[in-house]
Amino acid sequence: MIANIIASVPAILFHFHKEGSVSAIILAIIVGTILITMYTRFFNSFPGMTLPELLKNTTSKWFYKSFVFFLAIVWFVAGLITLVTFTFLLIRFLTPEMPIIQICLTIMIPALFGSLMKTERILYTLEILILIGFPIIVFVFYKAYSSDKLEWAFVKDAALYFNQLPNLHAFSACFYLFLGVANLFIFNRFFTEKQNFNWKNVLFIGLLSTLALFTTYFIPIGFNGLDHIEELVYPWISTSDSLRMDFFLIERVLFVFLILYVGIAFLSIMIHWHVSLEFFNSIFNLEKVKFKGIAIGKLIVILLYVGVSLFFVRKLNEYQLFLFTSLFYDMLIIFFPSMLLLFFFIKRGMKNVKKAK
Amino acid sequence: MLKRQSKTKIFFLSLIPFLMLLSGCEFKDIDKDVFVSMIAIDKSSDNDKPYKITLKFYQPTSSYKEAPEPQFSYLTQNGESLSEAIRLMESYIDKEIEFGHSKLIVIGEDLIKAKKSKEILDFLLRRPDIQMISWITVGRPTAEEIVHLVPEGENAAYPAIFNYFDENGTESQYIVTSYLFDFRRRLKEEGIDTVLPIIVIDEEKKHFKVNRALILRNNKEPHELSTLDTGIYNMLTSRAKVADLIIKEEGDYFIARIDSIDSKFKVNVSDTKKITIELEVSLVGYISESKETLQNKDLPYLNKLLEKDANMKFTAFMEEMIKNGYDPLGFRMNYKSHTLHNHRISTEEWNEAYKDAEIHITVKPGLKSTGTIQ
Repeated sequence: MIANIIASVPAILFHFHKEGSVSAIILAIIVGTILITMYTRFFNSFPGMTLPELLKNTTSKWFYKSFVFFLAIVWFVAGLITLVTFTFLLIRFLTPEMPIIQICLTIMIPALFGSLMKTERILYTLEILILIGFPIIVFVFYKAYSSDKLEWAFVKDAALYFNQLPNLHAFSACFYLFLGVANLFIFNRFFTEKQNFNWKNVLFIGLLSTLALFTTYFIPIGFNGLDHIEELVYPWISTSDSLRMDFFLIERVLFVFLILYVGIAFLSIMIHWHVSLEFFNSIFNLEKVKFKGIAIGKLIVILLYVGVSLFFVRKLNEYQLFLFTSLFYDMLIIFFPSMLLLFFFIKRGMKNVKKAK
Repeated sequence: MLKRQSKTKIFFLSLIPFLMLLSGCEFKDIDKDVFVSMIAIDKSSDNDKPYKITLKFYQPTSSYKEAPEPQFSYLTQNGESLSEAIRLMESYIDKEIEFGHSKLIVIGEDLIKAKKSKEILDFLLRRPDIQMISWITVGRPTAEEIVHLVPEGENAAYPAIFNYFDENGTESQYIVTSYLFDFRRRLKEEGIDTVLPIIVIDEEKKHFKVNRALILRNNKEPHELSTLDTGIYNMLTSRAKVADLIIKEEGDYFIARIDSIDSKFKVNVSDTKKITIELEVSLVGYISESKETLQNKDLPYLNKLLEKDANMKFTAFMEEMIKNGYDPLGFRMNYKSHTLHNHRISTEEWNEAYKDAEIHITVKPGLKSTGTIQ
């Protein structure tokens, strides 16, 4: 959710800043919260079961295999987008002299090692990094909100564009922030007991996402003005560069922000690729693929990941990345809500399975 | 089979030789970089190469004792474009030019008057290594002279000119501070005009004087604010933290030191496209100088004088701005911030209506004391 603040989501939103971004944000918050609630409820009723396991029990083999294969690719692409975006970002701002392949590898290798860990450990890593990163995020947001250079007139001006029809692309970009819940497909393995999930949690998620989206969209406008804001390729980078720490070791907030976001990008890639790997694992039984007694199944997939990523990092330019990302998001808004239908079938199927037992 | 512990040991031992392969980072070593402290952009006399860039570099020294005086080196180059000039400069110096630490950009007055701000802005923004929080200023007569001057009393390591703008050193009411991101948003946005400080060198060539400002507006000649107007502008935008106001009324002459300034405004457009601006300024402070003995009980009367005088000054300033069609405070932005976008009047209509805009200024005086003596 947070990883996308920095690059593609705000860029897409600002592209349509006078064509229905604000209403799209409002709509996405409502739809997204409903989606999160429904997904969580569904998985809560099957504690400890992952989606591939559920599908295996309830649907036919050809559907199960092809569907999970498709899911694996979706998750891989999600990680890939983050990887390519951050590689471009780093080469632009932090290490312009480094070869792009090397930058890409420095992010990718730790992320890949991470994604090979057990699901449980990934959640612990997440916890630690969030613990380190969260105060810094709060600090940067605090700096932004408390800065007297933040012009609220621009923010109000932007907010007044709410009375337009929501823009589809802007909506799908916002909606993407809520799709983190879909990682439960695999991570539900960890939640072996029924979790308490009531209206308070829903309200909390709603409020948090409102705050996140509000900050993502309006703070860069407050610092950079509304007209021509779509010219900024990395709106949040420019915004964090507009902040100044008068009495700190480093004057530019930009670098604190960049380093922090490299950490978050690493997390995001790790989680996505872990989920993707698990999907592959469940259809191909990767642990059983052996060569001279060594399990190489996962290695083959990982080599594939590395190859494809390096290919795209070298081939894509910023515009193609923007287009590609936007297209990917658009696809997801059809796909994930329609998953709810599938859930309905699974629920019925599982009842039958239970009865059979 | 080896024990688990010794396995770990062997792993780490075999890791150490691999560390040798990490010979260093891909960054340039710091002694191969030269750090730019200021960028000056001027108009050159050469027509084919209209831009003239001067860079001021920090001279690296190993310790403060070795060089207690500030030391800089300079490079100047003409170019058809800004990047071309910098590319040529790279061949004059043995090190890589590093812009990441440059904090001040001075643009020559001639270049601003030649309306080249858009091109300069493009260059400054497109380079990712130039800070968005660098200050942007106008140099008179040329930016090159400003950059070359090392004023008296300057510390090594921190150029004195930075103190004028960083809101940490001097707190003069006449200094306008404009960051690069602020410059950008004001240039791009229609509702607010750009205001840049002008740096002048005094006659003895020993100090800077920063007490004037330049208003830039699209398709218009830049308008220069006098020292008094710059002070008033700073008060109206609440940028000035402290300010002095000289009050001369009916034989009374005193100076009010204002230490808390708060101003807000609201712009309304009627159905007949008449603009009315409500401006409210509150001035709280004490009296720092007077020609006559003052009585504490006279404070209400003195407050009235302050109100009258301040109102007159602010009105004169605003009327001049409105008459000439400049909008440095962002009245149009304020109007945009509370009117739905499909109900707004167009740019042409606004420009037409702005000329006869009505302005109501309310001053809330708050002199609390006559100082340490009565």
